Amino acid sequence: MMLPRLTLAGALLAATAAYAHETAGHHGGRVADAGKFHVELVAKGETVDVFVSDEGQKPVPAAGFKGTAILVVGGKPTRVPLEPADGNRLTGKAAAALGDSPKGAVQLTGPDGATASGKFN
Amino acid sequence: MSTRFAAALRAVALLAAVLAGPALAHEGHDHGAAQPPVSKTIAPRGEALSDAFELVAIPRDGTLTLFLDRFRTNEPVPGATIEVETPDGPKVATATTGGGYALPAPWLSKPGRHDLVATVTAGDAVDVLTLAVTVPDPKVAAAAAPAKPAPAQAALARVSEVALDVRERLTAKDPALVAAVAVAFLLGVLVTALARGRRGAPAVALVAIGITLVLGTAAFAHGDEDHGAPVQGAALIEPRQTTPASSDLAQRLPDGSVFVPKPTQRLLVLRTTMTEQGSFHRSVELPGRIIPDPNASGVVQSSVGGRLSPPPSGLFPRLGTKVRKGDVLATVTPPVQAVDVSDMRQRQGELDQQIAIVERRVERFRKLATSGAVAQTQLDDAVAELNGLHDRRAALDKIRQQPETLVAPVDGVVAQATAVAGQMAAPGAMVFQIVDPNRLWVEALSFDALTAAQNATARLADGRTLKLAYQGTGLADRNQAIPVQFAVQGDASGLRVGQFVTVLAGTDTEQSGLALPRAAVVRTGNGQDVVYEHTTAERFEARPVRVEPLDGGRVLVAEGIGPGKRVVTQGAELLDQVR
Repeated sequence: MMLPRLTLAGALLAATAAYAHETAGHHGGRVADAGKFHVELVAKGETVDVFVSDEGQKPVPAAGFKGTAILVVGGKPTRVPLEPADGNRLTGKAAAALGDSPKGAVQLTGPDGATASGKFN
Repeated sequence: MSTRFAAALRAVALLAAVLAGPALAHEGHDHGAAQPPVSKTIAPRGEALSDAFELVAIPRDGTLTLFLDRFRTNEPVPGATIEVETPDGPKVATATTGGGYALPAPWLSKPGRHDLVATVTAGDAVDVLTLAVTVPDPKVAAAAAPAKPAPAQAALARVSEVALDVRERLTAKDPALVAAVAVAFLLGVLVTALARGRRGAPAVALVAIGITLVLGTAAFAHGDEDHGAPVQGAALIEPRQTTPASSDLAQRLPDGSVFVPKPTQRLLVLRTTMTEQGSFHRSVELPGRIIPDPNASGVVQSSVGGRLSPPPSGLFPRLGTKVRKGDVLATVTPPVQAVDVSDMRQRQGELDQQIAIVERRVERFRKLATSGAVAQTQLDDAVAELNGLHDRRAALDKIRQQPETLVAPVDGVVAQATAVAGQMAAPGAMVFQIVDPNRLWVEALSFDALTAAQNATARLADGRTLKLAYQGTGLADRNQAIPVQFAVQGDASGLRVGQFVTVLAGTDTEQSGLALPRAAVVRTGNGQDVVYEHTTAERFEARPVRVEPLDGGRVLVAEGIGPGKRVVTQGAELLDQVR
């Protein structure tokens, strides 16, 4: 008798959890929607890493992508061009050290020329 | 628990699991969902919001026009730097005359979705905004439009239209037709029954009525059946060509919200404010006027009647002259009556005579006193008498020429001056009024007894407001009201004594709600009070509200809209006129 009830509760919980937006990424950064992709922004020191994944959080190969990260550092916008690196990672270097979780946006240009952008607050 | 219930539970569980499957794959939010097109006559546009700015981008004819406003107030932001990421690198938009920013954007003519990143720098505020613009494909739009119908097709369309019309009339609910059919059927059944025999007649009649009613209802229900069917004729009629207008028009959308493009918002000077919950004291309006502070003002009056003459400086102080306490403002010379003059002359003559006699006596006594013929005491008496006579004579002279001086009782400015050289002032008449312009009071008439220490403000006719401090309430009735006095706090320049003001004094009753300017609330055609909420950059939605009076400039919204919403405070009346 208990089994169906547990199944029901479990299934309902799973359904609820799925509807909550996931903000923490696999690489310890922040995740935002960018068009049909999810982008995860990891800013450490002067390095900006952006990981691209699809709607199901599956990594998308970064080859062919181009990107730009515009981050507000110390009240000034900093433009960081991003180049594809290994796996689903695009990387770039800023002129100055970026603080903890800078706000800004990431724009990606896919291999097909379509643009997508995600905002980080 | 019955097995049936368990089965039901299992079924629900299964269903939930099935639902959870796609939900997991989709992460619970949709990607790249384009904004619903506002209307066919409005150009595609993208918008972005942040807590500081609101940005609208409109691509048109190879140019991207951007409108930047403050998020809370909807005020345009001039002189900002907007840098947009383009395929050719970052480009800075230039300000246009219309209050927007323009950027040549040939890459935007390509149909499809374009994600833009704009870096906005206005003063010390920096924001990075992302917005998406979907450019419609002109080829797709053209293909969707049906081809022009051939003549044969047009004829067919005409025939089908006529057929449709006939069919519609047949299927329309026509109560007269249904009733006629029903009555004929009933009569036929009754006649048949009567012809066969009398005994079964009532039963047959009942059955007949029943059948008729059922059939009649069925006939009524039938009416709506074919209305949802596709109308063949209409598809063949050429639709009116809607070409996108060169400029967007403000319009009321089918869902009741009002679409106002940014350029129109600038013209209408729409301003918003963020609603905040708070508790407020209800205020009452009182008529009042400015009075001088009783402790910092004074009047200069003459105690005796007399002729006014200027002070030693030679000039009467005129209006607005600054005076200090103790300054001589004028002199009053009391006139001497004719009777008094003759009396004084007489007295003068007598005194002169006595002085002459006593002078001679003193002379004589002085000579004799040395020889001892006259006692020294006699000489002393005579000298004292002479001195007394001289004093009396001098006093008589002085009384005719010493005027009364009028001095300023306080520091201040001459507010009223009636002095004219040579004028006769009546005793007790006010010659000057001195007021300290920085210390003014307001006296208002209240019909209720106001309790002390309440925040009060005074509104002038030109809309300026003054902060008031409660001073006291009188108890003596004046025109069925009691005078209440307030001191004007802060800058009192530009005020004049006697000026009428409206005093808004807080009462003890406290109300909670959202305070909005009076102009934010619009009365609609059906008599309902609404406020317009700024929902997205170019959309406004009417929210019916219940308002209560608060004070002269504001009303209290008790219900209808919550805190943290942007409500139009300026131009709401104009917004209501958009059709």
